[in-house]
Amino acid sequence: MNEPKIRTLIIEDEELARRLLRTYLNEYPELEILGECENGFEGVKSINELKPDLIFLDIQMPKITGFEMLELIDHHPEIIFTTAYDQYALKAFEYNAADYLLKPFSKDRLQGAMEKVKEKLAKMPEAHEDIVEKMNNFPREEFLDRIVVKDRHKIHIIPSDQIRYIESLDDYVLIYTNDGRYMKQKTMHYFESALDPHNFARIHRSFIVRVDQIAQLQQYEKESYIAILHDKTKLKVSKSGYKNLKEMLNF
Amino acid sequence: MKHPLIYNTKYLMLYGIFWFLIAGASAAIQWNYYDMPLDVSLISPLTQYLLFAALALSIWYVVKYNPVEANSWWKLVFFHIIASSVLILIWVFISNVIINMITPNLNELMTMSLPTRILSGYIMYVFYVFFFMSIVYYENFKEKVKKEGELKALIREAELHALKSQINPHFLFNSLNSISSLTMSDPAKAQEMVINLSSLMRYSLKHGQNETVSFGTELQNIKLYLSIEKVRFGRKLQPVFKVDEHCYQGVIPNMILQPIFENAIKYGVYEATEPVEILTEATCSNDALEISVTNSYDPGVRSKKGEGIGLRNIRERLQIIYGNSALLKIKDNRKNFTITLTIPQKNTLS
Repeated sequence: MNEPKIRTLIIEDEELARRLLRTYLNEYPELEILGECENGFEGVKSINELKPDLIFLDIQMPKITGFEMLELIDHHPEIIFTTAYDQYALKAFEYNAADYLLKPFSKDRLQGAMEKVKEKLAKMPEAHEDIVEKMNNFPREEFLDRIVVKDRHKIHIIPSDQIRYIESLDDYVLIYTNDGRYMKQKTMHYFESALDPHNFARIHRSFIVRVDQIAQLQQYEKESYIAILHDKTKLKVSKSGYKNLKEMLNF
Repeated sequence: MKHPLIYNTKYLMLYGIFWFLIAGASAAIQWNYYDMPLDVSLISPLTQYLLFAALALSIWYVVKYNPVEANSWWKLVFFHIIASSVLILIWVFISNVIINMITPNLNELMTMSLPTRILSGYIMYVFYVFFFMSIVYYENFKEKVKKEGELKALIREAELHALKSQINPHFLFNSLNSISSLTMSDPAKAQEMVINLSSLMRYSLKHGQNETVSFGTELQNIKLYLSIEKVRFGRKLQPVFKVDEHCYQGVIPNMILQPIFENAIKYGVYEATEPVEILTEATCSNDALEISVTNSYDPGVRSKKGEGIGLRNIRERLQIIYGNSALLKIKDNRKNFTITLTIPQKNTLS
């Protein structure tokens, strides 16, 4: 009889929207509301600490968006997106969302979403990592204008115009900026397609560089080159990387 | 405008051929009709006509830099008399020297024909002036037609943007969500918000794109808009107004301030977790009303981007109404973002 409750977190920046959702959710005794988060930073912290089963997630929030927040969490709960923007629906389902509620929504609409969540929770948990990785291959409408990363202490927002270059490191990449380097669990392939190709070039299996950082190119061996950045960092350039640069810079 | 002949190889060749034919025809007449020796018949016209052809190219600059519209008639005539005299002097002098170098026995003929040569020089000069003037006129006309076309396209586009941006749909949906929440917790406040939202929508529907309203009315509307947003953002949104009351009579295009405040909320308030002040200041003189809106923001959040559609739209409207898009100024010190609008006034404030 005593089924475990669905442990739920609300991540939403507007107070009235939180209040409404709370009122609606009061009618579901099978839910246990763990708390409310006012922004993505709090969201990351609470999800990693509390490991909820379900989150209600707004997309447009201060500092980091709901999608960016999802990239930073280690625990993957079921997600119901709540937003006034309909253009993110496709992307939301790429994140394997249980449902996507357009504000303002009715109690009945919420009821439908809750049923989907219960269905999903009853099934075997899916491997979320694969799905998140899979969605990286989707064509993008817009290029990344910033990257969010998390180290042990805090979350950093790196505007893409501050990236100097990106180096691959096994399953991770290292993002180099003027302020230091940051690690993120993503593939080079992801960044190659997500960053604006007008500004970034894949010059080697292990390197993506912001083109305006390159000070000069030097021949190294017969068919390989070395790119020297303005701060004297030297990066290897492969044959195909050299071809990429040649196309981009018209030399 | 570039020189129509010098920079166009094809036209320059045609021009050269034209003068060669004239010189040739003249030589043929002298040889056949006046029974002059062949060398004499050739030397004099070839030298003189071709030299004139070369020198006359410079008349273009005289015409171009002394446009008809910018000068009075007597000044223009005076200028051309000087320019033509200088040109003819050089022409006569150099052709005399060259012909003398080739064959000195033509000296007498050259002296005899001097008055005729000078007169024909002036006549040719006049033809050149009319020729170049018509080119300038034609080019200006083409330019004007092109500009008019561009302006028309811009107006259409601006109208389209304006229709789209009058009320941001996300603002509407988020406000409706707030109302939905208030109906349960605070029905009186929900009612108030519905009324405010209705007034705002009515205002934006009532006034056409090129209509002007008093600054006081527009400000009233902005306060309405901010009061709705205040319900959503609570203490995060702190509007402050420092406005001279006698500026209220100033006249401004309707709904021109709304996108500025939307902008301030989007980049200032929305991205913040702490209260953000939106400071509105207005001062006025006899001929201008100056309105500035300042908000603080967090510069580290995203890459620098160009102007958004809202601000571009304002610029386009200012261009259409006042013919000057520079009336909108942006100051960004990577901490505070200030937009200043200068709206010209026609003595409505005195």
